[in-house]
Amino acid sequence: MHNSSTGFGILSLVTFLPLGAALLTLLIPEQFGKTIKAVAILSSIVSFIVSLSMLGRFQGGTFHFQMIEFVPWLKQLGVHYRMGVDGISIWLVLLTNLLMIVCTIFSVYIKHRVKAYMVSLLILQTAMLGVFLSLDMILFYTFFEASLVPMYFLIAIWGGSNRTYASIKFFLYTFSASIFMLVGMIVLAKLHESATGVLSFSIIDIQSAVANGRLWANAVQLEVLIFWAFTVAFMVKCPMFPFHTWLPDAHTEAPTAGSVILAGVLLKMGTYGFLRFCLPMFPDVVRAQVFPIMVLAVIGIVYGALVASVQPDWKRLVAYSSVAHMGFVMFGILSLTHTGMMGGAYQQLNHGISTGALFLLVGLIYERTHSRLFKDYGGLKAQMPIFAALFLIMMLSSVGLPGLNGFIGEFLAMLGGFESSASHMFGLNWWFPVIAGSGVVLAAVYLLWMFQKVFYGPITNVDVRRLRDLKLWEVSLVGVLVVFAFWGGLYPNTFLKPMEAAIGATRLMALNPVGERPSWSDLSMEIDKKGNLVQVTPRAPGGDLEHFQVERIIAPAELHFRMEVERTTAVFKEVQARR
Amino acid sequence: MFNSTYDLIWLVLGLPLVGFLVHALFGKAIIDLLGARLGKKMVGGLAVLPIATAFAIGIGLTYQLAQSPPEARNVTLRLFDWITIKSLSVPFEVLIDPLSMTMVLIITGVGALIHLYATGYMSEERDYARFFTYLNLFIAFMLVLVLGNNLGLLFIGWEGVGLCSYLLIGFWYKDIANAKAANKAFIVNRVGDWGMTLGMFLIVAVLAGNLDRLGVKDGRWLSYDVILPNAVNVLRDHPVAATIIALLLFIGACGKSAQFPLYLWLPDAMAGPTPVSALIHAATMVTAGVFMLNRLHVLFELSPLASAVIACVGAFTALFAALIAFGQTDIKKVLAYSTVSQLGFMFIACGAGVYWAGMFHVTTHAFFKALLFLGSGAVIHAMMHDQDMRNYGRLLKYLPITGAAMIVGWLAISGISIPYVFGLAGYYSKEAILGGALAGQHAVANGTNYGLVSGWVGLGVAALTAMYMTRMTYLTFFGKQERWRELPAHGLHETHPSHESQIVHARDAHENYGRDGHATADFFYSESEMALREQLENEDHHHHLNPDHTPREVSISMWFPLVVLALLSIFGGWYLERNELFKEWISPGASPVLGEVSIHPQGIQLVWLSFAAAAGGIFAGILIYGRGLSEREGWDLSKWNPFRRAARRQFYYDDAMVGAAVGGGGIFATGLWRWFDAAVVDGMVNGVGYLAAGVGGLFRKLQTGYVRGYALLMFAGALGFLGYFVWLISRTAVGQ
Repeated sequence: MHNSSTGFGILSLVTFLPLGAALLTLLIPEQFGKTIKAVAILSSIVSFIVSLSMLGRFQGGTFHFQMIEFVPWLKQLGVHYRMGVDGISIWLVLLTNLLMIVCTIFSVYIKHRVKAYMVSLLILQTAMLGVFLSLDMILFYTFFEASLVPMYFLIAIWGGSNRTYASIKFFLYTFSASIFMLVGMIVLAKLHESATGVLSFSIIDIQSAVANGRLWANAVQLEVLIFWAFTVAFMVKCPMFPFHTWLPDAHTEAPTAGSVILAGVLLKMGTYGFLRFCLPMFPDVVRAQVFPIMVLAVIGIVYGALVASVQPDWKRLVAYSSVAHMGFVMFGILSLTHTGMMGGAYQQLNHGISTGALFLLVGLIYERTHSRLFKDYGGLKAQMPIFAALFLIMMLSSVGLPGLNGFIGEFLAMLGGFESSASHMFGLNWWFPVIAGSGVVLAAVYLLWMFQKVFYGPITNVDVRRLRDLKLWEVSLVGVLVVFAFWGGLYPNTFLKPMEAAIGATRLMALNPVGERPSWSDLSMEIDKKGNLVQVTPRAPGGDLEHFQVERIIAPAELHFRMEVERTTAVFKEVQARR
Repeated sequence: MFNSTYDLIWLVLGLPLVGFLVHALFGKAIIDLLGARLGKKMVGGLAVLPIATAFAIGIGLTYQLAQSPPEARNVTLRLFDWITIKSLSVPFEVLIDPLSMTMVLIITGVGALIHLYATGYMSEERDYARFFTYLNLFIAFMLVLVLGNNLGLLFIGWEGVGLCSYLLIGFWYKDIANAKAANKAFIVNRVGDWGMTLGMFLIVAVLAGNLDRLGVKDGRWLSYDVILPNAVNVLRDHPVAATIIALLLFIGACGKSAQFPLYLWLPDAMAGPTPVSALIHAATMVTAGVFMLNRLHVLFELSPLASAVIACVGAFTALFAALIAFGQTDIKKVLAYSTVSQLGFMFIACGAGVYWAGMFHVTTHAFFKALLFLGSGAVIHAMMHDQDMRNYGRLLKYLPITGAAMIVGWLAISGISIPYVFGLAGYYSKEAILGGALAGQHAVANGTNYGLVSGWVGLGVAALTAMYMTRMTYLTFFGKQERWRELPAHGLHETHPSHESQIVHARDAHENYGRDGHATADFFYSESEMALREQLENEDHHHHLNPDHTPREVSISMWFPLVVLALLSIFGGWYLERNELFKEWISPGASPVLGEVSIHPQGIQLVWLSFAAAAGGIFAGILIYGRGLSEREGWDLSKWNPFRRAARRQFYYDDAMVGAAVGGGGIFATGLWRWFDAAVVDGMVNGVGYLAAGVGGLFRKLQTGYVRGYALLMFAGALGFLGYFVWLISRTAVGQ
């Protein structure tokens, strides 16, 4: 299909620009710390600008991958350099680059082994971008694992007092889980070979073979196994209960920039992988597996919130809140409703902004007081009113206050989950949204408690009493994220519109029978304005994909599951009769 | 986009928001620049102005709306698309109709008066600008709540006013008790919001799940104009689904409008400054639940069972709170419980199907309760922030204007009337509620007429109301004793914890800073700056009530609002009742489900009954409290009778709930963390880790001793294992 080389393009530029900057940084002697920092900051700003120009070229009206790059690599193995971007990945790329600016600027506070630190950070950036942009499974896996190494060093060298344990745990935990994924990838490629005669690790090729039903035709019993091989890897990354225990340690011990990146981007690799692999590649089994994963998501929401509410450590509390929030993301995605999947996909971004900002704010205060324990704080609002106001806004975004970004994602995810549950899809029932909803109450409990501990009450710590408010540059640094929190809450359509076609297609890939599944390789398929899968007049790859002429509807969207009101009444009558 | 006079509504919404932004960004700078006196005048003026202007515009728009024929009083305007995805569309759209405009007038009108009052009340406050920042923001959110044309916007306002309430209750955050009260308010409200969101979701699921028989095209599932007609269509034959929706939404109303079992945040909310209590916790925000029930009344009418529940919860809350009020000695707490009780009346109305009467009571209650709160604030202000009525007495002599206004409020809330001639504001609305309930045309479940039951309970509570309000008035304004002259002050203090006790002087400690030896000086204040800051804080010193204190009448900015509200409390109800003006305005036609609900019960002389209740209550109150404070309610709690002691502690309901939630929840969560997370899950993880390390230990000689080495080893081992596994699977898979 894509057999001629396209050469390297803008996606490669976006991905490898930080790596280039890292190499450049290596040439600068250690004693020029300021120059090193300047190079890193400059690189992250240029990266962001380049990714903005990528956004400018992006077409939101199609679910197909765009700006595809193909460079032959290992022909015998079916592994090639394939890159592409769609509505789901584009925002994650921008989020990564946005947070990297924040992280590099914050890292002027790093005093110790600056060069190695910045190099790690920049390599990490390339690895993360590579994960979101690769269309080849081996390439994906390479980036996925490559991200562990710099993160490992960030925690192990610049981390807190318990950094050794945390870094080892982080590495082994996620590494061993992704082994399963690698196995799954190899099996997929092998199955593709046996179905079509071509060995290929291309995500597009494999999904096409899945969509037309040939890939799994001869290996039905394997499908559920391979589904779980991928799912376990992504569940650990997410992280979902009960695979979450690496996260509090890693988040807490990591240096501030590390925590921001971990919460903001690394966790999203899990949910992104879920959207990219687990839903499109295993349509015959995914319905049956919704139930157990939803159970874990709901447990994670409540469990994360409960445990967060008794943490004595500021960063640890935010870390456990991530477990709860990522539970909401999975809850939305797994509802397999359009609303819920949009909400889940959007909540990924919001969590990146709000939790990233919370870690950043904690980092700013930690630089001053060197304490993360609540007992060392109190009354900070009188001392640092601007800091308190910024913290309040980001906390409220995390609470899910309407008007801020966190609300939109959470609301849509919950609504989607509710719709599936109320329609009794996938074996779900009322308890799922009811219990998940209590997570929203608990979020208020632990976040307000945190705010009270730190900001309210009298000042009891003499050191706190001497603190000045944030400096102007620090305020602007957080201010950028505050702007996005408001933007995402007041005008979410900016972000929702471009991802809608991709999400709609992913949903149909998972739900529809053979013959009605969208295929990434088939440019004559498209998602129309109502969400239907339609056949369109043929188009050239790389051209205008947004404007098309519909020839016929292949499969209607059916955005909502049918709900039988009668059924509620019937159940009630049954209960009465039994009495 | 802007082409009719109704577009002025954007100004009504926008002005308070602009006020908020001005105060948030420049308020402190203005005060610093112009000096405390002039600066505060300026900031206060900038806070009152937008609200007063919004009120003026609101009057104009309401007048215009009233000119059009009843069926045309329904204007929808769109500003932009808020959430638009293929399956759901929530536009930022306002709905101008009699219900929303009534609320707009209450919010901006009473709001402007309270803003004016607050400029005086808060004049000694250092955080003056911050106070008005929150207050203007509150008005903005409240307007979004009532004007939005869909449940999405309602929810923005709903949680937004909750946020402002949280911020204002915790306004004096240096006292940790205030901060805790703020948390309690937000969290208990969140419990209500949990029910509310589930109710919203269920509406969407029911409507969108029956898309085929409705023909709704644009996914505006949360818009009222989509919900109301279609809900009747889908739910008419399915009372169970209708009941679940109604009850879930009612949980939200219980939270916001402080009904049992979620009322318990409201008494604590009195920790906020008194203007806040008047505006948010009496006149406007707490009536949002009643507003929501009115807005969605079709949904509630579809379920007689849910209506019965609403009426009963309202009646029980009214009674419960009225009883608690007898045990309170803090003047604001008495008013807080009376608010809870009066909100119960509003829910009786909604349950009984006379929704308009609920709104009527919202309106009149806004007049007299705001009056009572502002009056109590004036008293508190005059009494050096002492709130305990046991320290008051004979204040009418010192505070004639405040006292006269409070007496009007007392009579208005008691619902006193000259039968068939004239009544104060509270009389007419209470009469409509009780009439509707006693007519008993709705809220019938399992053969029991719960409307009727709640009506009789309500009548009894009306007598209790008159009685405890008489108690409050007499203990404060009448009697022969000036009790603060006899006692060392040991009452409750609303405000201003002293800073002195907790502060350890920084001088002792500043040298242990800069741990890393970095130049951290720019993180901290210098010695001289510290001295300046301390000096500023010491200016905040507050005096306490002492025996030599002579109360003085408050300034004009504070008593003027009192007079206006007193006039409204006298004539407001009478004016709105004339020719059924209010009823025709709010609900001109018969409701689509219930038809016409009567407020004239047959065979009951309600006019005389309610006169007897009010007059009897007042008479009994005067009999008991005319002689001043008795020993049985004095400072020595052991002399109180057991009933009153229990009432003082809310019959131990609050203790039990908070104990269970905070204590029990804390123990459970800690157990979960320490035992499950750290021991079980992490135990397993560490076990695997030690196993690997043990294996690694065999090769320790080969390793450098760095832990990193183990990771490398794991990597190599895993690769080998992986190769084997792949080989195995690919054979079975491809071999078929």
